Amino acid sequence: MGTWTQALLKNALDATAPILFAAMGGIFAHQAGLLNIGIEGMMLGGAFAGVIAAYYTGDIVLAVLAAGAAGAAMAAIFCLFVLGLRANVVVVGLAINTLAVGLTGYLLPTVFGVHGAFAPPGLRGLAPVRLWGIEAIPWLGPILSGHTILVYLAWVVVAATAFLLYRTVWGLRLRAVGQDLEAALAAGVHPVRLQVAALLISGFLGGLAGAQLSLGELTLFNKAMTGGRGFIALAAFYFGASRPWPTAGASLLFGLFQSLQFRLQPLGWPPQLLEMLPYVTVVATLVLVRVAEARRRARLARLVTVQGQRGPELGVGGAG
Amino acid sequence: MKLGAVTRGVFTAFLALVVGAIVLELTGRDAVEVYRLLVEQSLLSPGALADTLLNATPLIFTGVATAIAFRAGVFNVGVEGSMYLGAFAAAWVGFTMTEWPPGLLIPAAFLAAGVIGALWAVLPGVARAYYGVDEVVSTLLLNYVATSFTGYLVSYPFLAPGAANAMSPLIAPGARLTRIAPPSQLNLSFVIALAVAVAAAVLIYRTTAGFALRAAGSNPRFAQSAGIDVRATIVMAMVVSGFIGGLGGAGQILGVNYRFIQGFSPGYGFDGITVALLVRNDPLGAILGALFFGALRNGGATIQLFADIPIDLIHVLQAAIILFVTVEPRVTGWFARWRQRPTKLSGTPLPVRE
Amino acid sequence: MLANALHPPKLAMKNVSKRFGAVQALCGVDLEVARGEIHALVGENGAGKTTLMRILCGLERADTGTVELDGRPVHIPDPEAAHRLGIGMVHQRFKLIPSLTVAENVILGSEPHRRGVLDRRAAYDQVIRLCEEHHLEVDPGARVGDLSIGLQQRVEILRLLYRKAQVLIFDEPTAVLTPQETEQLFEVLRALKEQGATIIYISHKLWEVLQISDRVTVLRRGVVQRALPTSEADAAVLTRLMVGQDVAPVTGEVSLPAPQGEPVLALHDVWATDDRGLPALRGVSLTVAAGEIVGVAGVEGNGQRELAEVLVGTRPLVRGSVTLLKREISRVPTWRRRLMGLGVIPEDRDREGVSLDFSLADNAIATRIRSHPFSRRGFLSRRAATMFCRRLIDEFNVVAPGPGTLARSLSGGNLQKFIAGRELSFRPTVLVAAHPTRGVDVGATRFLHERLLSLRNQGSGILLISGDLDEIFALSDRIAVIFRGSIAGVLNRHEATRDRVGALMLGRRGEDSVA
Repeated sequence: MGTWTQALLKNALDATAPILFAAMGGIFAHQAGLLNIGIEGMMLGGAFAGVIAAYYTGDIVLAVLAAGAAGAAMAAIFCLFVLGLRANVVVVGLAINTLAVGLTGYLLPTVFGVHGAFAPPGLRGLAPVRLWGIEAIPWLGPILSGHTILVYLAWVVVAATAFLLYRTVWGLRLRAVGQDLEAALAAGVHPVRLQVAALLISGFLGGLAGAQLSLGELTLFNKAMTGGRGFIALAAFYFGASRPWPTAGASLLFGLFQSLQFRLQPLGWPPQLLEMLPYVTVVATLVLVRVAEARRRARLARLVTVQGQRGPELGVGGAG
Repeated sequence: MKLGAVTRGVFTAFLALVVGAIVLELTGRDAVEVYRLLVEQSLLSPGALADTLLNATPLIFTGVATAIAFRAGVFNVGVEGSMYLGAFAAAWVGFTMTEWPPGLLIPAAFLAAGVIGALWAVLPGVARAYYGVDEVVSTLLLNYVATSFTGYLVSYPFLAPGAANAMSPLIAPGARLTRIAPPSQLNLSFVIALAVAVAAAVLIYRTTAGFALRAAGSNPRFAQSAGIDVRATIVMAMVVSGFIGGLGGAGQILGVNYRFIQGFSPGYGFDGITVALLVRNDPLGAILGALFFGALRNGGATIQLFADIPIDLIHVLQAAIILFVTVEPRVTGWFARWRQRPTKLSGTPLPVRE
Repeated sequence: MLANALHPPKLAMKNVSKRFGAVQALCGVDLEVARGEIHALVGENGAGKTTLMRILCGLERADTGTVELDGRPVHIPDPEAAHRLGIGMVHQRFKLIPSLTVAENVILGSEPHRRGVLDRRAAYDQVIRLCEEHHLEVDPGARVGDLSIGLQQRVEILRLLYRKAQVLIFDEPTAVLTPQETEQLFEVLRALKEQGATIIYISHKLWEVLQISDRVTVLRRGVVQRALPTSEADAAVLTRLMVGQDVAPVTGEVSLPAPQGEPVLALHDVWATDDRGLPALRGVSLTVAAGEIVGVAGVEGNGQRELAEVLVGTRPLVRGSVTLLKREISRVPTWRRRLMGLGVIPEDRDREGVSLDFSLADNAIATRIRSHPFSRRGFLSRRAATMFCRRLIDEFNVVAPGPGTLARSLSGGNLQKFIAGRELSFRPTVLVAAHPTRGVDVGATRFLHERLLSLRNQGSGILLISGDLDEIFALSDRIAVIFRGSIAGVLNRHEATRDRVGALMLGRRGEDSVA
């Protein structure tokens, strides 16, 4: 039983990594005022590019960078249409997803002569890294050690995201742009440069998420391998209100769900029901959070009016 | 349906085809030849037209369903989910009520499908209308729930006896819709789809409910102040949208598959979004849009077999269409005002919301 | 003060023109402002004042013309350039980011930093220093969204001072201030002037202009009518220049005694919350009788918006009751209230008065879609809608090609006439008119005022919510003042003075009330 739990948790950390990357990417875009629904497509594109690059060059670092670059390239298309041509953010995001599926599905047989999954023998993916110091910790050690470098990198990215957004000039300006474009413009901030940068980062991180999928957990490419993770990442940063650490927490939770799904299946649990679980949880929580908020506000309103004249002077702003 | 809108739709489709041609050429295929084959296989060869109509049928349902929601300002991307659940409901009626006569069985199956599809859409509808929950995220994720859940249903409790794959028992012969152009699978559901599209158009343009829907989509604050219950209207739009989506599922099951098969829809719901965008949320226009995509799919499937061109090319075309459609009004406006430098940069919501 | 080659004016805009599509917003405008001068820029809505200033701030580009600072021509392609040149504007709608702090808002765009990392301490200190220097008190760590309007305006001013602005532009700064806050602002302006700042003051409030400015430039329809020292101007002269003719203010018949009509609208102890969940209306009690206009005066943000919404039915009551023609309506839906005889001219015509993408015909019937003759058994009648709309357009002098025109293509004044016409066409027994002439030119304003008075004379009751004291005084039979969500006092017109009303607007309890 101990080993089962350990395997579960270790697997959870692996599953969390792509969600983390994608969610952080989502945060950058969202803080810039743009909802990036196309992360799923950027992940897929990254996964594809990563495998192709690894296959052709054998250089894993190059492959990971290629994955990021592919994601960023898709983000560039996103920018062109949303910022340059003022198209609708959601629609363009959906188009990016479709484009990714279409291009990868088309290029695989056409250019590489492969049907189905692309799993060339001898494809070297990301090797698991053993951290000797950590490994020695009782029980936790084997869980925390032995992941690919990207898994560890994901957590570094979380910290970097928090720092970038809240402690730098760039981050302040980006958040200003995302909150109130007019005000930012009047302050002399150039929104486009910031938004493009944020989107490119978003795409790059999405690409890295894809790299973890196609070069980390397994070493192959399959048209369906993102499996909705981009949308789980979306849900994660919605939960976290686009703040890096709460989002990371949500990502971890969903990673755990994915791991559970995998682990419980051999025990006879119908896989589809487990598959549903993260989505159900997310939607349920999204709804319940709002319902609770509405109830609280109604209660607050009644409270204030019941106390009448001596009602608390809540000031001009800020909910209680 | 305004002539200008049709022209713009055609122009957009044309641009997308150009993009597709570029992709083809860059990967060593002869674009002209491919497109010629496409047209031939989708419209000209014997039986091709019937198959195109066949492919178009589910898209009419999903296109109209999506368009109605979009018109009300609700970005419902969950028609796929309604379709899956509706399809299962229809299948269930079909393989459970085997003793009923066709005159009862078929309407019952459709009704069940519509109701279930509508109920599925109610939750995100209410969540959006009364609690401000973003419907894009909720409907999108609920699609996965619907497909997973129905997959479970036909893998365990309703798995057809003796079947290896996840599928339900066959529906009773009395539940099957007549084939209208053998040897193609084209069936009565095509006619039903047309009827639904017309009914939707009447609803939107000629009734007070439709006015409320359009007003809610155009300017919800004004609609509210004018006396329209915007929140109830949003829920109503979702209910209608889900209902029609469910009908689409029934059409597939009763007309083509004769049983519920996991994964029976290769993204009809999503294609419906593209159709709705292409025709700017007009139900009658959706018929044309669906026919266009039906032709693409039909032709695409054939040339995948014969010329080894992956059907994913169609996805590329779709993406291009979506992008051009959403940009087109901007481009037209830009040409009209090209002397002035835009001072504001922001994505515009489409459909319009508060 | 005439400029000459030795002492060039601080700011000179020469021959500035700007066209927006078919509209010539500015035509050959010249503006000269000396250093240390408070220069007022006046004109009606649409005269071009804001456009001219936006050009100065880099938010727009002029088609022709030059800008000179201290005698040297300058180029202002964007707000950044304007900042560098020392030009800054305090806008009507503040360009502040509510979720950021005061300090963050002030430094945005010129942040103190160490290699890209924000230096928060330095930002804080600098803001404090500026506050002390210019006698403005604000807490640098406060969230801007939590501050009052007056304080937010100070943050805006601080922003300009932080950027070392030498030319400060104020666009209708007192639109949202109480009379007391206005006085405080004037003190700040005078202090700034003494320190050598050059101030441009945009306003259409003539008494303010006469009080605070040194020189005045009057714009009308994009053309400069005249530039003159304030000492040589008075209200009549300025009005004539602005409008081209003497506009006699439409006065209600003030000498009539308070009407004895039945109350048609009554609010009793009404409580309601705003969008943030905070109490916006706290026990409002007010009645409107048939044949009277009750004007609700108050500084913006004291509950006027919520009051209108509660009456329309788009905002629920938390407590209390609203009675329309003797029927309690707090649970009655909007469409039924309208059928009972309630009409509404909303505050924000684009957002609440019409659907811009709908035709005029559709907009005309929008409030009555369930009624005969516009619909029958759920189906709409196109013909009835078109006919009704055509009549509306004629009767209310709306300049529009026809019922099929999109509402979007109408000008502000015309749209307002359309909306008012729509409401008045159904002969409301009670009309709630919120800021009915905001952003509307003088001609349309007169028209609307006449119609409102005529409606009153026919026996309807009107609740007039307005931030324009002139309008309130011109039309009301009784004047109620709303302050912090309650009625601070109600005065009969003939005993109301600007001072008394102003005091009530600030919360100083009035001597008596006529409820």
